[in-house]
Amino acid sequence: MHDTTSNRRTVVRGALLALGLLTLAGCATPPSASDPAAVAAFNETNDRLEPLNRTMFKLDQGLDAALIRPVAWSYNKTVPDVARKRVSHVLDNVISPVTFINDLLQGEGRRAAQTFWRLVVNTTVGLGGMFDVADSAGVPQHTEDFGQTLAVWGVGDGTYLYLPLLGPSSIRDGIGLGVDAFGFDPIAWYSYNPHNMQWVQYAQLGAELIDAKANIMQTQDELKKSSIDYYAALRSAYRQYRAKEIRNGAPLPPSALPNMDSEGDPFAEEPATKSPK
Amino acid sequence: MQRRRLLTLSASAVVLGAVPRLAFAQDVKGEPAQVVSQFAQIGIVQVLQANIPKQQKADRFRVLFKQFFDIPAIARFTLGRFWKMAQPDEQTKFLAGFEDVIVYTWTRRFSEYNGQTLQVQSTAPDGNDGALVSSTIIGKDVQPINVAWRLRKREDGWRVVDVIVEGISMAVTYRQEYAAILNQQGGMPGLVTQIQSQAADLAKQANAS
Repeated sequence: MHDTTSNRRTVVRGALLALGLLTLAGCATPPSASDPAAVAAFNETNDRLEPLNRTMFKLDQGLDAALIRPVAWSYNKTVPDVARKRVSHVLDNVISPVTFINDLLQGEGRRAAQTFWRLVVNTTVGLGGMFDVADSAGVPQHTEDFGQTLAVWGVGDGTYLYLPLLGPSSIRDGIGLGVDAFGFDPIAWYSYNPHNMQWVQYAQLGAELIDAKANIMQTQDELKKSSIDYYAALRSAYRQYRAKEIRNGAPLPPSALPNMDSEGDPFAEEPATKSPK
Repeated sequence: MQRRRLLTLSASAVVLGAVPRLAFAQDVKGEPAQVVSQFAQIGIVQVLQANIPKQQKADRFRVLFKQFFDIPAIARFTLGRFWKMAQPDEQTKFLAGFEDVIVYTWTRRFSEYNGQTLQVQSTAPDGNDGALVSSTIIGKDVQPINVAWRLRKREDGWRVVDVIVEGISMAVTYRQEYAAILNQQGGMPGLVTQIQSQAADLAKQANAS
């Protein structure tokens, strides 16, 4: 048992070290301080590891085209919709203790109770999570992760991070991912501690990847088709999507939208300086 | 102000009967929520459900977008501080390219139309004397999608300046994408070249499929 714990520590330590080294190698050059507008734009983008991230993105796109997409595509083609839904529900149910712990950590008692009730009902009446009975009973699923908990606690996202296989993230969300996967996920505890069967966690991760890819493929393709710089479009969309998750899905307050500034309304009818037609 | 408006197929059918075909280019009238409903109604009935060739659908979409959206204002927003720095001919070319990209992108997105309806829920004031209209797209067997519309009042009525789908703003996403291109890939000339070739690609795909 001791061995497995130290194994896990080594994995985490190794990952952090590798990240640190890569970080040194892949820093973006900030613009000179004499151009405040460029500095503001650099800070808004908040992608200090952009060269590294773009490399990881390229790598991931290759991996995606060669492996993940074909597998997800065949999965979509061969396995009927109904069966895929069952798989999605089982995976959601198995991971829901992570949401439960994070609900609690965020002080969301009501949402924690909902998650707990959903787990009990879907595991029993829903036959091991295959059927989302709780949703039909009016308690829909929500998800939380430790990255969101950190955000609720006031931790900023650090900087953007693109992770191969896992996709868009940030320093904060990446750390959250590690804490969820190694600290909060009961499957991890089960597969490491009493049994030393890491493959269970790998199998879970693999299944989650394919399931997520099969679900998100169309949206990704759509964004790719409508953009010129897919990397930058994905970065922007991910940030906005993440902000919505952190708000627990609440609608965007108008104050959070680009608004009136020293330049006037950003959507003004006429540009500030008229261009000759 | 709470407005609930469910666009059912039967309601659409009434509109189909009421709106003569040649009245396609009509004035945009009414309050923000009505403008959004009207946009969805005309879009569904006269473009999505219309039995017309693909090219004609794209043409109708273009007319519809130019009527209900302030595309030049959106285009300027997506460039931010770079708009004023651009040459007049770059501005003109960018505007044309951006309009094409918007029209073809949405024509393609809507080509998978499957009977969804738009339910307008409420209107809230938006920071700059504007309006933020909340709505939901409801379809069969799919999760409802939240869509918010930002509008600005112009001399001849309200115009949409942004569409926010599940918290993701179209205008902000384009702006941040274009900022990356402007900063890294040759500034305005680079962006103009890229948006023109993207518009050409999208046009080709739209006509081919």
